[in-house]
Amino acid sequence: MRVVTFVRELQDLLGEERVLADPLRRHVYGKDGGIRRGDVAVVTLPATVGEVAEIVRIASRHAIPVVPRGAGTGLAGGAVPTSPSLVVSLTRLTEIEVDVESSTAWVGAGVLNLDLSKHTAAFGLHFAPDPSSQAACTIGGNVANNSGGPHCLAEGSTVNHVLAVELVTAAGEVLMLGADAPDPVGLDLRGIVVGSEGTLGIVTRVLVKLTPNPPAARTLLAAFDRVEDAAATVSGIIAEGIVPAALEMMDQPMTIAVERFVGAGFPTDAAAVLLAEVTGHPAAVAAEAELVRAVAESNHATRIRVAADQAERDLLWKGRKAAFGAVAQLAPDYYLHDTVVPRTKLVEVLAQVYDIADRYDLAIMNVFHAGDGNLHPLMAFDASQEGVLDRVHAAADEVARVCVAAGGSLSGEHGIGLEKRDLMPLVFSEADLDAQARLVEAFDPDRLFNPDKVLPTGSRCFDMGRPVPEGIWI
Amino acid sequence: MGWITAQAPRPAELNACVDCGLCLPHCPTYRLTGDETASPRGRIAAMRAVADGLVPIDDAFEDMMSFCLQCRACEAACPSLVPFGRAMEGARAELAAQRSDAGRRIRQVLLGRLVTSPGLLRLATRSLGLARRTAAIRIVPAALRASLAGMRSVSRPLPPVRGATHGAQGKQIGSVALLAGCVMDAWFGGVHEATVELLTRAGYRVVVPPGQTCCGALAAHDGDARGARRLAARNIRALSGVDLVVSNAAGCSAHLKEYAEWAGDGGAILAGRARDVTEVIAGAIEDGRLPTMSINRGVVAVQDPCHLRHAQRIVEAPRVIVSAAGYQPVDLADDQCCGAAGLYSMLHPETSHTLGENKAAQIRAVGSTVVASANPGCEMQVRAHLDNWYRVAHPVELYWEAIREKELRSRENPE
Repeated sequence: MRVVTFVRELQDLLGEERVLADPLRRHVYGKDGGIRRGDVAVVTLPATVGEVAEIVRIASRHAIPVVPRGAGTGLAGGAVPTSPSLVVSLTRLTEIEVDVESSTAWVGAGVLNLDLSKHTAAFGLHFAPDPSSQAACTIGGNVANNSGGPHCLAEGSTVNHVLAVELVTAAGEVLMLGADAPDPVGLDLRGIVVGSEGTLGIVTRVLVKLTPNPPAARTLLAAFDRVEDAAATVSGIIAEGIVPAALEMMDQPMTIAVERFVGAGFPTDAAAVLLAEVTGHPAAVAAEAELVRAVAESNHATRIRVAADQAERDLLWKGRKAAFGAVAQLAPDYYLHDTVVPRTKLVEVLAQVYDIADRYDLAIMNVFHAGDGNLHPLMAFDASQEGVLDRVHAAADEVARVCVAAGGSLSGEHGIGLEKRDLMPLVFSEADLDAQARLVEAFDPDRLFNPDKVLPTGSRCFDMGRPVPEGIWI
Repeated sequence: MGWITAQAPRPAELNACVDCGLCLPHCPTYRLTGDETASPRGRIAAMRAVADGLVPIDDAFEDMMSFCLQCRACEAACPSLVPFGRAMEGARAELAAQRSDAGRRIRQVLLGRLVTSPGLLRLATRSLGLARRTAAIRIVPAALRASLAGMRSVSRPLPPVRGATHGAQGKQIGSVALLAGCVMDAWFGGVHEATVELLTRAGYRVVVPPGQTCCGALAAHDGDARGARRLAARNIRALSGVDLVVSNAAGCSAHLKEYAEWAGDGGAILAGRARDVTEVIAGAIEDGRLPTMSINRGVVAVQDPCHLRHAQRIVEAPRVIVSAAGYQPVDLADDQCCGAAGLYSMLHPETSHTLGENKAAQIRAVGSTVVASANPGCEMQVRAHLDNWYRVAHPVELYWEAIREKELRSRENPE
């Protein structure tokens, strides 16, 4: 009965078309780009911040958990409900308001990352974070996961490009956190919301900083016979004092899969390929490209190709960014890992990753943002085979442990979600986790928003969901 | 109860999708609604749910499947190479088999009669033309009226092309069987004229075999598998004994290339010979078998039919052709479906209308009143949404016109 009145209230607010409650449509919303499936009670498609706030009030009254969702391209299960939940799809919040003079824009949470850059191209501006899913993923999702991308080596991740957020709280209030000034007074609550994976509230609008399009860019593709040489080239380039706009590596199995999709002439016989891009003033770009070439040559690059024009550049990047999907040609499912290691440990960790995949009998290929040591080992498998998912999870777990042991981190840019949640104690002490749990409670005392994500159960010392009322003894 | 037909979505097709979501921004219905269940990934998930026995084929499934335009923009964007169009045809076949209601049966019977009988189609066309000029148009259902609003006004009725043979002009390099098509024959005679002229000048002997019929694309898209198989079988017999089978409607050429699905080995052979006319003519221009005009005719807006661009991945050919005619081809803001999509404009008039308006706005932004479109459905849709001073024509018509004009001029002013 409860669910029935709940759905009716939502339908009164949004009309029947924007409230999806039949079993098939609920099933379709049960998954994101990762491999886990959750349980959806009802899906809503609000078109305004007012509707989002009202939806939250209704959900709060009925104590039904709320899971915000963008395009559902996430890989860590951030948009996958763990218990029957109300999914709030933010894809209809698509307004863009550009302020050309201050190079900023107010952007609806549902605007696609690449659409924003296309929209601002006429002003010579773009939104710098460029995750591989940028053609499909939303700005709201980028804010939730503090997304990065190949070009974050020089430009920084989403948090460096968000000035303010509009947040709907558990009470259904609409808050504005941050300001258009670069350094607003008071605590930086905006910085807390970016990367909070929908656990603090629902971000409906974002004030983003736009970056001028570089006057010149050059993209180089270098092939190596040994992964070590490619890794040494990465360190060498950075040691030269260059911070390329992007510095990406793919190993051989990955290169083969990508080449089959784009046919861009990626060298499939190389053990590793490096994709480097330098941007800036034309003269500086030419000089830096020469330097990158020299470093690659001194590290035994077997071939170096410079993209002749924008079309060739686009094709190379299309290949790199389609890497994950291209894997489906090899197996029906994949698990994409996201960890960070110090650049100097790249070769060592990679050898261990190959070893782990061998031991669990999994096909593995690697693509990574080499410049900042962000590894994306990708395991391809067929989930219909008995027991394979257990092997995948066990291998993923080991990869994370190896990276943390090498001085790295759990996640580079995809977020923690469900996928890495239980590994959080590898990098955080009990006190750290408790502090984070308290922070979540400060925003969302009843844990209405995206419960069970990011923080493992038991994060809060004396985990009871809420503070113990005064005067009660345990 | 899962699937019951041979056409049903196949495990390999559904498993190929890894849920990456890169198709989403390319899907017109997802773009309009922001709704995962109106996206290619969502539709695959729904097909999987039926295949796995998690949900029955119910109203929700039918709504989700029928909302798809079958434009196949998702296919061109898919890094996992999911054959989405094929899987969707399978889902439609299942719907037809498992949820056959009176409306669908009447639609399929009427459509089956109409597209396979040139005489009946001509009669219907003439009646409609008459009705348009009188009050009788009011008895035509509104959705059908909207779909046909962009029909060509034909000043001179052209004779039917079936049964004719045209020898190659100059040295013969091959033989072509022309698919006369259903609506092409009745409504688009000018396109046939240009096609035959250009093909013969390019060195092909062109036959238009009388025994041929509708290609079956509309039936296949609508889930009428039996109809699609029957039509394919007839065409395989009629269109044999030539080097190439050419169609000047992108929807038909795309479907001919998929005949292996509908007619086994014979179908695979025909599919291997099937070409869209734009490929053949562009090839002849590039080989120098057809001329390139140096005159500057200004800008032409190129509308890419989905079944040319996405289903066949033919992008350059129409541009090569209009360039050779002396036009400067300009792309539209995006390559999304115009909303015609075969029967879609009748089944989902609102969505079709919105997409048609979007496409018309993109064409206006180009700033030319000439539009090149290589598919009859798109041509009618685009015309219906533009003011009547816009001219929408097939690229081969624009090209043939330019050649004829040049020849007339040189005859008047011999050097």
